[in-house]
Amino acid sequence: MSKEKKQTPVNTPGVLTRKERHSAILRYMTMGVNNFNYETQQGPSVVWAFSKVLRKIYPKDDEYVEALDNHFKYFNTTTAMANIILGATLAMEEKDGIKSKDAVQSLKTSLMGPFAGIGDTIIWVLFPTIMGSIAGYMAVQGNPTGAIAWILFDMLLFWARIKLFDLGYNSGVKLITSLGERLSIFTEATSVMGLTVVGTLIATVVKVYTPLTFMTGKVKLAIQSGILDKIMPALLPALVAYMVYTLLGKKSWTPTKVILLIVVISLVGAFTGLLGVQPQ
Amino acid sequence: MPHLLQDLLILILPAYALLDNQGITILNYWPVTVGLVAGLIMGDMHTAMVIAGTFQLMSLGVAGLGGASVPDYGLATIVGIYLAARTGAGIGTAVAVGLPVGLLAIQFDVVIKLANNFIAHKAQEYAHKKEFNKMRMINWLGPLFFTMKDFIPMVIIITVGPSAVSAVLNVIPKWVTNGLTIAGGMLPVVGIGMLMHYMPTKKYIWAILAGFVFAAYLKLPVFGVAILGLAAAIIIFQQGMAKANKKNAAVAEGVDDSEEGDDYDE
Repeated sequence: MSKEKKQTPVNTPGVLTRKERHSAILRYMTMGVNNFNYETQQGPSVVWAFSKVLRKIYPKDDEYVEALDNHFKYFNTTTAMANIILGATLAMEEKDGIKSKDAVQSLKTSLMGPFAGIGDTIIWVLFPTIMGSIAGYMAVQGNPTGAIAWILFDMLLFWARIKLFDLGYNSGVKLITSLGERLSIFTEATSVMGLTVVGTLIATVVKVYTPLTFMTGKVKLAIQSGILDKIMPALLPALVAYMVYTLLGKKSWTPTKVILLIVVISLVGAFTGLLGVQPQ
Repeated sequence: MPHLLQDLLILILPAYALLDNQGITILNYWPVTVGLVAGLIMGDMHTAMVIAGTFQLMSLGVAGLGGASVPDYGLATIVGIYLAARTGAGIGTAVAVGLPVGLLAIQFDVVIKLANNFIAHKAQEYAHKKEFNKMRMINWLGPLFFTMKDFIPMVIIITVGPSAVSAVLNVIPKWVTNGLTIAGGMLPVVGIGMLMHYMPTKKYIWAILAGFVFAAYLKLPVFGVAILGLAAAIIIFQQGMAKANKKNAAVAEGVDDSEEGDDYDE
């Protein structure tokens, strides 16, 4: 990042001010996947967000339409990670104009997959899982602290996402590509943390309880506390987790179907008395 | 707060939260974050948080990745909190009514994403006709469609919900509400199962086992286990980086790696 683009006077044609760039990325961050379609996914969102800065880069109508068409194409990745990619492509277009068209497209296509893998794992899976289990536990006791903390974290993340865009804009392709490897190691490491939490969740969050009792002569034995808990604590939750994991691995079982199956099992269990609500 | 104002705010909340979640992501659409706002609106923070927390734990790990449609737990939370405040229904009932609403709302999601195809084509058409303002404006239809997804169910809930729920509650047998409460306890397992499919479960099965033992046998709270997980993550990261650096050094021997900055012609 040594010899960087200097801040340029406001109205140089084709050169964007910091404010214009930030307004473009804020537009993208606001639209996000709010006009998501199955065919080109986030393509129209990028066009909508960047239409104004691209107009400044391409004063000629024909070039402008060509550039817009380029961005109308399929694009989909974690929106936070897209900021890095879009920062880099904006810098490319600003420097080379319509000549950069193919490079812009290939950068977007080649990076959106790996970046989505990393971004989705961290931003939509790990962070909400850890934050959600902490805030969720506080909430079931009537305590909103975790929820407030979550919103504060989101604000921090908002700031970080703008920084990611600046990073992409300032350092271009090279850094992104070298970042890719480091990020995948980072994801792998955070996955381990996530999986540890998953193990905890199976034992604590999932509640399966049987109120059945077993009579041998005059001795009354509660199956849950007398047998199952003696074999292994949280035995039933672990078995159910394994069953659901296996089901979800099958093509024909969508999460919604599994949810409905569990509701049915619970209703049948409640009706027959096989399952019950765990006494606190 | 007057009832009418509460109704109005609770009507806007899911629509806003949805757009926020899909865009700027400050409030998001997590049960606890929207539950916090719904609690402020309805004026009963304790009940609101208990309902929100229940849905939060139920939804752990459920993520709509790559444009997948997932149950609308945030909407379920708001519906549950609203009905609990209006009818005095218990937590179990609030959950039992909220969940189906959240499940039904997924169906709209697919329809909207299909409708947005049409907008995308229209926008591109405008671009070709050089009507750039229209090209921009038509994109507002996307957020508008998405808003409707939660707006319509909310209108129905607010107009007929409380009385309908009270009426239904009087005829529902005890085992049904019981069964739904049991389901509420078991449902987090779906999110957990999905998580295990996103993450390298097979490779790092030891992490799950360790987490399970720490929680089930040693009764360590989740945050404590998360810190242990972090410790393991740091080790894995350091080892991975060391391995990658060694590999790079071997491959890129002598290649000049100093020029960074603005060269992006690859």
